[in-house]
Amino acid sequence: MSKMHHRRPALLGLSTGLLISIGANVFSITASADPVSNGKQAFSLCAACHRLDGKSGVGPYLNGVIGRKAGELEGFRYSRPMKSSGVVWTAEALDKYLQNPQTAMPGNRMPFSGLPDADKRADIIAYLATMK
Amino acid sequence: MTKRLPKRTVVMIGGGFTSALAARQLMPQGVDVLVLERGIDRTHSAANEIPSQRDELRWAIRHENAQNIASETYTLRHNSNETALPARSLEAFIPGDGVGGAANHWNGQSWRWAEYDPILRTHLENRYGRKAIPAELKVQDWGVTYAELERYHDLWEKLFGISGRAGNIKGEIRAGGNPFEAPRQNEYPQPPLETLEAGLILEDAAKKLGAHAFPMPAGNSSGAYTNPDGMQLGQCQYCGHCERFFCEANAKASPYVLLYPWLRRYRNFEVRAQTHVTGIDYDKRGRHVTGVRYIDLVTGEDCIQPAEVIVLGAFTMTNTKLLLIGGIGAPYDARTRRGVVGRNFCHQANSGVSVFFKDRWINPFLATGSTQTVIDDWNNDNFDHSGLGFHGGGYIYSNVTNGRPISTRPVPPGTPRWGTAWKQATADWYAHAFSISTHGSFYAHPENYLSLDPTYRDAFGQPLVRMTIDFRDNELRMSRFLTEKAAEMARATGAKIVGPTTPRTGPYDVRVYQSTHVTGGTVMGADPKTSVVSPHLQHWDAENLFVVGASIYPQNSGYNPTGPLGALALRLGDDLASYISRPRHL
Repeated sequence: MSKMHHRRPALLGLSTGLLISIGANVFSITASADPVSNGKQAFSLCAACHRLDGKSGVGPYLNGVIGRKAGELEGFRYSRPMKSSGVVWTAEALDKYLQNPQTAMPGNRMPFSGLPDADKRADIIAYLATMK
Repeated sequence: MTKRLPKRTVVMIGGGFTSALAARQLMPQGVDVLVLERGIDRTHSAANEIPSQRDELRWAIRHENAQNIASETYTLRHNSNETALPARSLEAFIPGDGVGGAANHWNGQSWRWAEYDPILRTHLENRYGRKAIPAELKVQDWGVTYAELERYHDLWEKLFGISGRAGNIKGEIRAGGNPFEAPRQNEYPQPPLETLEAGLILEDAAKKLGAHAFPMPAGNSSGAYTNPDGMQLGQCQYCGHCERFFCEANAKASPYVLLYPWLRRYRNFEVRAQTHVTGIDYDKRGRHVTGVRYIDLVTGEDCIQPAEVIVLGAFTMTNTKLLLIGGIGAPYDARTRRGVVGRNFCHQANSGVSVFFKDRWINPFLATGSTQTVIDDWNNDNFDHSGLGFHGGGYIYSNVTNGRPISTRPVPPGTPRWGTAWKQATADWYAHAFSISTHGSFYAHPENYLSLDPTYRDAFGQPLVRMTIDFRDNELRMSRFLTEKAAEMARATGAKIVGPTTPRTGPYDVRVYQSTHVTGGTVMGADPKTSVVSPHLQHWDAENLFVVGASIYPQNSGYNPTGPLGALALRLGDDLASYISRPRHL
């Protein structure tokens, strides 16, 4: 736990848009105040394919994804649209992608229909930001 | 020159569903387990990910992840007087090939059978009297009760993250679930999948006719799920590529996702792929098996793998084949009706009535292998059979599993089979039609059995398994009755066009899809005269040989066979641990 708290300042680097949605989360009744721990829970939606330990599975590993260029991990077989997208995974770019992967990047091969809940997306991104 | 390998404690033949579940129970205790699998390991291959995963021609039509029938097939005849011929095209059942076996390419339909299914003969005799069961109906008890298996069902459903809605918790009937369900201790681990438009239509029809509709229990994960072993499933995306496919989203509970990666964490576990087993060495006088013979498909070497305990957990037909080739147990003789190995070979008797709507959008491409709404009122012995002239039954369901372009082309009766009119009908009805299908039981008959073919051999020079099977009177009558019920449902939907009522009829044809659930051949029971293995799945004639798989079912139910197999395989794991600590007849 202490390790995670230590890493939380990474959030400060995220966009204002994201901070606003995290702010909205604070006022919701069910969610806890800590987006990182919410995000850790919500990450179960991704965990069947994505790992956080530097090893790729069905999907590429996601530790260190914030700031990474799309399609650049060696040894992972990306789709052409992903490789040629030129996207850098900022919090905004991830937010847009996770909302509807096929709209954000048509033809990419991630079999996930998207996460319409903006708070959940923000939580997941906040959590990913702590995973270096 | 045969290579003799160092002895292992437990050697399992077949790297599929049942071996992995039995092995799971042995891992924490440190028992040494070696699994022999003839196929390759595709776990992280590009072949089972998008876009290759969606190749319908490759997986669904050409069965690339199934047994290659060019090297090993089956012969078929309809009764003992005929000469059997080899199947050149196999659609009736799809034997798996590769680490994970056939449960890698399953649909996900995850039933428990009825509470009376394991005691079917006793149940039928009690309800209708001994005389009401004809001599040709070879139904028999398993020798184990549902109550003994319940906790293993519960564990299996948790391991596989089954999605569903309970209809019977500890005897209390729950609205919205299956009122005929065997009593469960717990609700399903996950809520049911979404109900499709076709399901809503069937629900309405069922209400009108006083039947009970509920969602099919599914191995297709309705949400993100972590099982008790820490293995994870993604959320199902309803892409309609389940049966015959690997799951692109890791959302279909499968051995290659949930079991083998977990087993491999243990040092006492090994799976040896590309090993084609050709025999089991049997010491007849000592009533023991001593080792497994196989061909290493990479090097071509003949190997003997000595073992303390052998588990035969291959495909239904292979289990029977290896016992017959090894001379283990008395082969069944249809003329004298004596012997046990090969007897009670069963399949299932399915049928369907198609319905076409002008104004309802079925959108079949948004589906899973188990997003079906089901009516269980006429399954097995869920209804009174007095005076009907048959036993058994089946469930009726809104059959939407996929909208794949080669497989799914619903057109109304009378449409030409090719050309402009066919294309127009396809365009008109693709999104507006489905089948109300039946999934029917198949009870054992003395003329339905497996044996070794005297003529035809496989690529390894071994005799093919010969199927002698047909739909006998009991199944023909059952299917007529059940299909008429489905037709009543179809008419009650208010469909614009209702297709013809076509019950299952003979002759049995391996080229026709038929639920894929072949069972029997090495059946379980309490009497060695009518069973190959004991209720603990221990071979009557070889104490250290255990057999598991659909081959142990004495008769086939109207339900899909996976659920009880999961329970029986987990229980076998515990029985093996007990046997290893003190070898004896369990």
